[in-house]
Amino acid sequence: MKRRVVITACSAITPIGWDKNDIIDSLRQGKSGVKPLRDDGLLNKHIHSRVFGTVDYPIDYGFKRQYRKTMGPVAYYACQVAQDVLEQANLSREFITSGRLGVAFGSTHGSPTVQRDIYRTFFQELDAKFSSIGAVDYLRSMVHTTAVNITRMFGITGRVIASSTACTTSSQSIGFGYEMIKFGMQDAMICGGADEYDTTTVAVFDNLLACSSAYNETPWRTPRPFDSKRDGLVVGEGGGAVLLEEYESAKRRGAKILGEIIGFACNNNGGDLILPNLAGITATLRLALQDAEISPGAVDFISAHATGTKMGDVIEAQAIAAVYGENTPFVTGLKSYMGHTMGTCGVIEVILTIYMMEQGFIAPTLNLEQVDERCGMLRHVREVTPAPIKIGAVQNFAFGGVNTCLIVKAGSELDK
Amino acid sequence: MNRDELQEKILTILTVDFEFSQPGLDDNLRDDHGFDSIDAIELLGKIEVILGITLTREEKEKAMEIRTINDVLDYIEAIDSSRHR
Repeated sequence: MKRRVVITACSAITPIGWDKNDIIDSLRQGKSGVKPLRDDGLLNKHIHSRVFGTVDYPIDYGFKRQYRKTMGPVAYYACQVAQDVLEQANLSREFITSGRLGVAFGSTHGSPTVQRDIYRTFFQELDAKFSSIGAVDYLRSMVHTTAVNITRMFGITGRVIASSTACTTSSQSIGFGYEMIKFGMQDAMICGGADEYDTTTVAVFDNLLACSSAYNETPWRTPRPFDSKRDGLVVGEGGGAVLLEEYESAKRRGAKILGEIIGFACNNNGGDLILPNLAGITATLRLALQDAEISPGAVDFISAHATGTKMGDVIEAQAIAAVYGENTPFVTGLKSYMGHTMGTCGVIEVILTIYMMEQGFIAPTLNLEQVDERCGMLRHVREVTPAPIKIGAVQNFAFGGVNTCLIVKAGSELDK
Repeated sequence: MNRDELQEKILTILTVDFEFSQPGLDDNLRDDHGFDSIDAIELLGKIEVILGITLTREEKEKAMEIRTINDVLDYIEAIDSSRHR
């Protein structure tokens, strides 16, 4: 049994906004969410990259203490976007608690802020000021904290999939959620990811010489996917969720259908855990098209992973060219607006693709001033382009050699 | 510390830290205020600070019988007097 899977609600907290109109405005106006790195009193002085994709607007969560007590910052993002999609979708309480709604949600490594507080107790004298490790610190910091804080807050009793595969975390969440529904295991899934402000991730990429450091005084000019003057990625924060539903039941209840997931692929490079791998990535893109049962020519738009690293962008361009040939779809690197939001990037890029589908435009890659000739074979979007996206491919690749590709069809194209 | 002072301290903790709304001394902590096992462990930590002691495992296990705020006060007084016997 194969069932169709549609997106009926979405919400993203991003460095370029939370409200849909703010995000669309940033995409149209070319506004960046990359800001100076904050002083964390720990690592920031030792890091060369001094930029971060920052959520710097106030969010009034309004969560009761009963729920807050098991949440670190990452779970606040997760529960807020989950609450947003449940409110948008207006699912009945009976369905939410029926066991037919599941959650696929993850983060790179739970809450590093809470983990840091725990480590403080190891490295400092235990006293009342810092207290000892609290009863709920594990719940607030653990790898699956986002997924289970969502189930707790909304009384969800279905399956829990807590993927934690760095940059493919939330694209896997959507892909695995799609498969849960497609093959009849669940009727709906809240899927997504979140990652909080964290300098340890910046330090890791900084040590690997993969972080941008040439634009510290002008943060909005980096990252620069596919640009000849790119010098690395910019770490960011945020959260995003989509609600996936089985198509027939969504239609029956009169849900607004924003899009359809028509294909998903996930594989591994089977070797190096860091270096981008042309064969692995190319295979992922082909497998996703196969799963969607469409030819490459049917895809209008590619949301490239495009982190702005020197090698990653070139390998991705080669993979796109290998799969799509000379006449590639429009290609945009959406991380140019907000940096690399890590575990969240896949779901944010799916949501931005849906917004652009609805609005009938394609946002350009920000800071793409001179295309690196090794990436020149792609149809780069250089300015806001009025064009309907009927089918988009969202590509993400992670440390660990994990690759994903999601194929999304516009809601307006559903029965065409 | 007499019982009135203790009561004031506990009520402050429950309203400020645990966000109880208008707690009554004989309210059921769980049913009326959503107090759960995580809260119980956190409250024991605060009781340790009030009394300036570290509770033993046996003493903590006894706390699992607590149902009301009056039970909390009785519990603290019992611990305190057993330590000063």
